[in-house]
Amino acid sequence: MKKKIMSIVLSASMLASLGMSQGVMAEEDDGVIKIGVVAPMTGGLAVLGEGSQHSVDMAVEEINEQGGYQIEILNSGNLADDASDPTQAINAYNSLLAEDPDVIVGTYNSSCSIPMAELAQEGSMVMLSPGSTNVEVTEVGDYIFRTCFIDPYQGEMAAQFAQSEGYTTAAVIYANDDDYSNGLYQAFEEAAADSGIEILYVGECTTKDTDFTAQVSQAVASGAEMLFYPCFLDTVPLLVQQARDAGFTGAIVGGDAWDGCDTAGLETAFENTFYTNHFSYEDTSEAVQNYVTKFTENYGSDTLTACAALYYDSIYMVAAAAEAGGGTDTESIKTGMTNLEFSGVTGSFTLNDTGDPIKPVVVNTLVDGACTWYTTLEPAE
Amino acid sequence: MALSLFLQSLVNGLNQGAIYALIALGYTMVYGIIRMINFAHGDFIMVGSYTLFYTVPLMVSAGMPAWMAVFIAIAVCVAVGVIVETVAYKPVRNAGSMSALITALAMSVFLENLAMVLFGASPKSVSAIFTLPTFQFLGATLQIKYLLTLGIGLAMMAGLQLFVRKTRLGKAMRAVPQDKEASVLVGINVNRIITITFAIGSGLAAVAALMYCSTYPRCTMDMGSMMGLKAFIAAVLGGIGIIPGAMLGGLLVGLIEIFVKVYIAPGWYEAITYGILIVVLLVKPAGILGKNVGEKV
Repeated sequence: MKKKIMSIVLSASMLASLGMSQGVMAEEDDGVIKIGVVAPMTGGLAVLGEGSQHSVDMAVEEINEQGGYQIEILNSGNLADDASDPTQAINAYNSLLAEDPDVIVGTYNSSCSIPMAELAQEGSMVMLSPGSTNVEVTEVGDYIFRTCFIDPYQGEMAAQFAQSEGYTTAAVIYANDDDYSNGLYQAFEEAAADSGIEILYVGECTTKDTDFTAQVSQAVASGAEMLFYPCFLDTVPLLVQQARDAGFTGAIVGGDAWDGCDTAGLETAFENTFYTNHFSYEDTSEAVQNYVTKFTENYGSDTLTACAALYYDSIYMVAAAAEAGGGTDTESIKTGMTNLEFSGVTGSFTLNDTGDPIKPVVVNTLVDGACTWYTTLEPAE
Repeated sequence: MALSLFLQSLVNGLNQGAIYALIALGYTMVYGIIRMINFAHGDFIMVGSYTLFYTVPLMVSAGMPAWMAVFIAIAVCVAVGVIVETVAYKPVRNAGSMSALITALAMSVFLENLAMVLFGASPKSVSAIFTLPTFQFLGATLQIKYLLTLGIGLAMMAGLQLFVRKTRLGKAMRAVPQDKEASVLVGINVNRIITITFAIGSGLAAVAALMYCSTYPRCTMDMGSMMGLKAFIAAVLGGIGIIPGAMLGGLLVGLIEIFVKVYIAPGWYEAITYGILIVVLLVKPAGILGKNVGEKV
């Protein structure tokens, strides 16, 4: 009995202290932005989470050195783990919420970000997703923003790339059972019409297909100069080999789902292939090179990915939003984040009305099977 | 332009069909001898492909041509086939055809999961096996390796047919399904014949894996299930248990798939292919080359 009373007293006093600290914060701005960060720290994408932790550490250290608003990462400076699983993402979000954050940065998988965004919108919490490209994430509401571009935007930029390379005809093969592939194809089709690129052949496949000989032989027969294949990395080597086997010599172009695809033994076939991506560490701009040098010096290059760069920019975006909104509380950050103009390692951009950035896209090519930066495309005015 | 597309599709269809046919030969061999559908046969292809994935680089670094790796693959597949037969199928052989079928399905799932544990769930890319040139014919770019697949398929079929028809062992193989007890009486070791049948069927799977990997250089742990299903359908279409029937069925399924994709509707190729299968079986239930006779019991 004594124990029970004791515990009640203790928890009551804890609650009281919690309430008190909240009361103080609401009255005056302490100049500290409390950020809860969620990322895939375990599971298949753990390498992305590890790099993101390094990036966040770097960004926080840099911003805090500059003076002005200070940043505190909740969960003792550690990124909360979603393990690429929607349920775990919600748990991570709720555990961070208990620490009273001003803003949530997360997460990478769209399947995790969408349910998190719904909770954030309901609870009037600003959420900035560094890496979820699914259109629906920011459509959840006005508290949700993102650092990366959206899926269909890459289709648009692929058309712009084709135009800048001087192609006038294109063929498309897309997976009709996949949202990502459909989105990129539709955006490409619309943008191609505006850019004067004629689509001579459209072929469908599924994400489970291994045989593309029928589609590629038709692409060859159509005489198109380039082939757009917005599908995931596992089938890319099959498609590229079969297209080259069928005598297709033109450019083969894909989206960020190509990143990391296996080119072993197909180095020659992969010549003249390109894909759009968020970031390239070979980008020669000063901002990118500074970031890459510092990251590699401190943590090596194994965990340096586009995802890590997006988390780095996200922390800076929060700081910029607090500056623009004139305060470190959630509402000021929301005001600042809306239509924020920002310049970072993943490009200079402005957030549009849905909270998506209109930003430059990196185009990579595969030289001797290795991913190499080719060009960076600025968004069309 | 239209002619070149037709030619290219014809070659593509024959290539894919020859791969189905090589797998279908394995189904038909086993069914022809012991009247059992070995659903794990597709997974023997997976075993062969993973063997190739690991042995092709070894062959290349030893200075030998990459396709020589197929001999190691044949050895591994034969070993796996014989072990599967001895450990899993032999004990249930007298328990009825349903037990045998379920055991085969279980073996298929077991092999796939074993592969996932051993090799990981992510797809592996097999390095190039043949570096054969292409040639131009009436405006179409054709692959010599595709024609090679067809040639190997036809050669395998002819060899098997000769083996079964002309050799003593082949005669014994034909005797076993007709009457097991009588075969024993005339001095045929039935268990040995069945093991040899499995060895041949699994060896064929390794050759099929070689031809598959030269066109589609990727192995996944579940690659065998879809390939196996299509090849099984090809075997039934041609007339299961009949060696030339497997070849005919395989080529037909491959050609229909490719031509439907090119000329009719790419999204519908599986539906249309198997729709045709149903129609053919309605007209000829025993398959194209099958004779409509009641099965001997």
